[in-house]
Amino acid sequence: MTSGTTTGLPAGVVARDVPAAPRRRAKRRKDRAGYLFLLPWFIGMLFTVIPFFASLYLAFTDYNLLNAPQWIGLGNFREMLDDPLLRQSLKVTFIYTFVSVPLSLVVALGVAMMLNQGIKGLPVYRAVFYLPSLLGGSVAIVLLWKYIFGFDGIVNGFLGWFGIDGPGWTTDPDYALTTLIILHIWTFGSPMVIFLAGLRQIPTMYYEAAAVDGASRWRQFRSITLPLLSPIIFFNLIQSLISSFQTFTQGFIMSGGTGGPADSTIFYNLYLYQQGFSQFHMGYASAMAWVLLVIIAAFTALNFLAAKYWVFYDN
Amino acid sequence: MAGLAGLAGLGLSACGRGFGGGDDEPEGGTVQLNMVWWGDAKRAEKTQAALDIFQRKNPGITVKTEYQDSGPYKDKLATRFAAGDAPDLMAMRMDSVREYADRGALLDLTPHSGAVDLSGLSEGARTLAAVGDKTYGVPAGLNAIGFVINKTLTDKFGVQIPDGNTWSWADLSTFSQAVTKASGKKVYGTHFDAATLANLIVFVRQQGEDFYTADGALGVTEATMVAWFDLFNQMRASGAMPPAGFIEDVGASAAASYLAKGSIASQIIPTNNFLVYKEAAGGNLALLRIPGETQARRRGQSVDCPHLWSVASASKHQAEALKLLNFLVNDIDASKATGTTRGVPASSKIAEELKPSLTPDDQLATDYLIGLQGEKLPRSYTYPPGSSKIQSSLESIATEVEFKRQTPQQAAKAFLDAGRKALGK
Repeated sequence: MTSGTTTGLPAGVVARDVPAAPRRRAKRRKDRAGYLFLLPWFIGMLFTVIPFFASLYLAFTDYNLLNAPQWIGLGNFREMLDDPLLRQSLKVTFIYTFVSVPLSLVVALGVAMMLNQGIKGLPVYRAVFYLPSLLGGSVAIVLLWKYIFGFDGIVNGFLGWFGIDGPGWTTDPDYALTTLIILHIWTFGSPMVIFLAGLRQIPTMYYEAAAVDGASRWRQFRSITLPLLSPIIFFNLIQSLISSFQTFTQGFIMSGGTGGPADSTIFYNLYLYQQGFSQFHMGYASAMAWVLLVIIAAFTALNFLAAKYWVFYDN
Repeated sequence: MAGLAGLAGLGLSACGRGFGGGDDEPEGGTVQLNMVWWGDAKRAEKTQAALDIFQRKNPGITVKTEYQDSGPYKDKLATRFAAGDAPDLMAMRMDSVREYADRGALLDLTPHSGAVDLSGLSEGARTLAAVGDKTYGVPAGLNAIGFVINKTLTDKFGVQIPDGNTWSWADLSTFSQAVTKASGKKVYGTHFDAATLANLIVFVRQQGEDFYTADGALGVTEATMVAWFDLFNQMRASGAMPPAGFIEDVGASAAASYLAKGSIASQIIPTNNFLVYKEAAGGNLALLRIPGETQARRRGQSVDCPHLWSVASASKHQAEALKLLNFLVNDIDASKATGTTRGVPASSKIAEELKPSLTPDDQLATDYLIGLQGEKLPRSYTYPPGSSKIQSSLESIATEVEFKRQTPQQAAKAFLDAGRKALGK
């Protein structure tokens, strides 16, 4: 990213030769241009801010979409304490997050290190590995996965060669979530690209010096790569956690919106959607949205606290 | 930033077909009605043909219609109402009608009998959307569920099709096992969904119970639910039905169904879809009644409708919406244009008039329904609010049974507990 000087002029080079007044005018003009470019974002913001506060209000109401909301105080939150399906949706979301996020980061780092060996055609490999990330959350790919993991699909066909009767990957409640986790791990591309950029910033002289001292590859990884990459790992971890807590599309498409089989893919956001739009329970859905916000904020804060002990900033 | 802009562009271009809202009023003093419904392209073509006739006959009214697949329809409709942008005339699911009507969102048609004439409807058809002394919709057509068997497959494997009027659940099982065995498990004898309420309701009625009682409670007993889940466990164990996990959610279209693919030989369908299933399955389908009707304590089958037509109480053009509704129900030209895509016309008079112009296949399905209507069938009651929740618990509990994570006994109890909680009684 370029430096964020407000004048946009290379400081101290051109500016010195320009008289003060035109400089201010130029600055104002530049500012206007800046705000103009920001305008779409401000307009977009309205569509975020208004529902944001509306949902905060609705969280304390009984709102069935058809009649005006009725203030019920903490009623929705009390109801959440005694909702087995809500507990199930939290369980599904937590398992999904805590299994798939670490695994996908490990895979992403592994592939990034492989690609960092100075191989030929790196841009091509990078694009190929990145592609699933662009597509992974999309409807078409989830449908394709549904087919690949179908009862008569490619995966079970492959297992059949070894005499294994594959399960119903998407229909068996014991396997459906695993299938979605595999799909998530496959979309390791965006953390991988960031890892790759991070790896290229580590000066090679550290490795050369370590090699001269007789450090093994593993030792080099532990003592050079990991510490110097830790800010990047931290960034990827936060990003992946936040997006994983909010998973919706995969569960919705794979189960046809039901969260099935047998509520095994009922992600928190999917249950929230069902409550709001299928069960006419929008006040409850709004309360759920705010609880999710608190959960995500808590995990992010926890991560920042823990970061003190393992993230190494080299400055 | 570029990524965000790209996403926004995707979002905009993605809402081509579904319905977003009826905001643009045409100029020149005409009234524009907004009508929404679900279905496929074929039904859209037929519906549009009927609407063209309506607009020719009523020059002051234009109809803007929007349709989509049945799955997401419910959510979209709820969103439209929440946004204060209710359509004037809409397809209403039987299990949603009271969710809307009990909250005052639908127009009671009883005081409007002058505008919408319901005298041609049989008692059973008229009361389908009755709540107390109010009526919140008119059946868009009448249908029932029926059992279809792919004759091409039974001929190929040399299996005799039982008598469809008198067969029992045991006959179904025997028949299906024979198909599975003869085909070497290439084709399973039957499959139908344990979690489809329409299927379960027939079974429950055969046991002499009402699934929903007149006062909107659950009438089904635990023993009957156990028997229902047992039926499926036995059929899966004997090979009459495919094993757990075999059947995936493939959407609602006949073309994508397992019957069309030839991996099962029989299934339950709504009778108004007989034609499309017949075409999709290669043109040789037999239509049978649901098993167990003659052995049961009382008749289980009932005359239902694929959906109702309802008018929003918030509609700004109620008079015109009622006019369109009356046209769809009572004008023979409308029924000639739509055919039986939504079932047999609700008005018996129109149904009789339409019959000669139907294809033989349509006549078969129509006769099936006229036959049922002529028989004395116990009345069923409107789905109470909360029934969509019951539907989703049934889905997950049926899956628990399918994968042997719950016994039929545990499942029956869990289902009744969840159902009573959803209904609040």
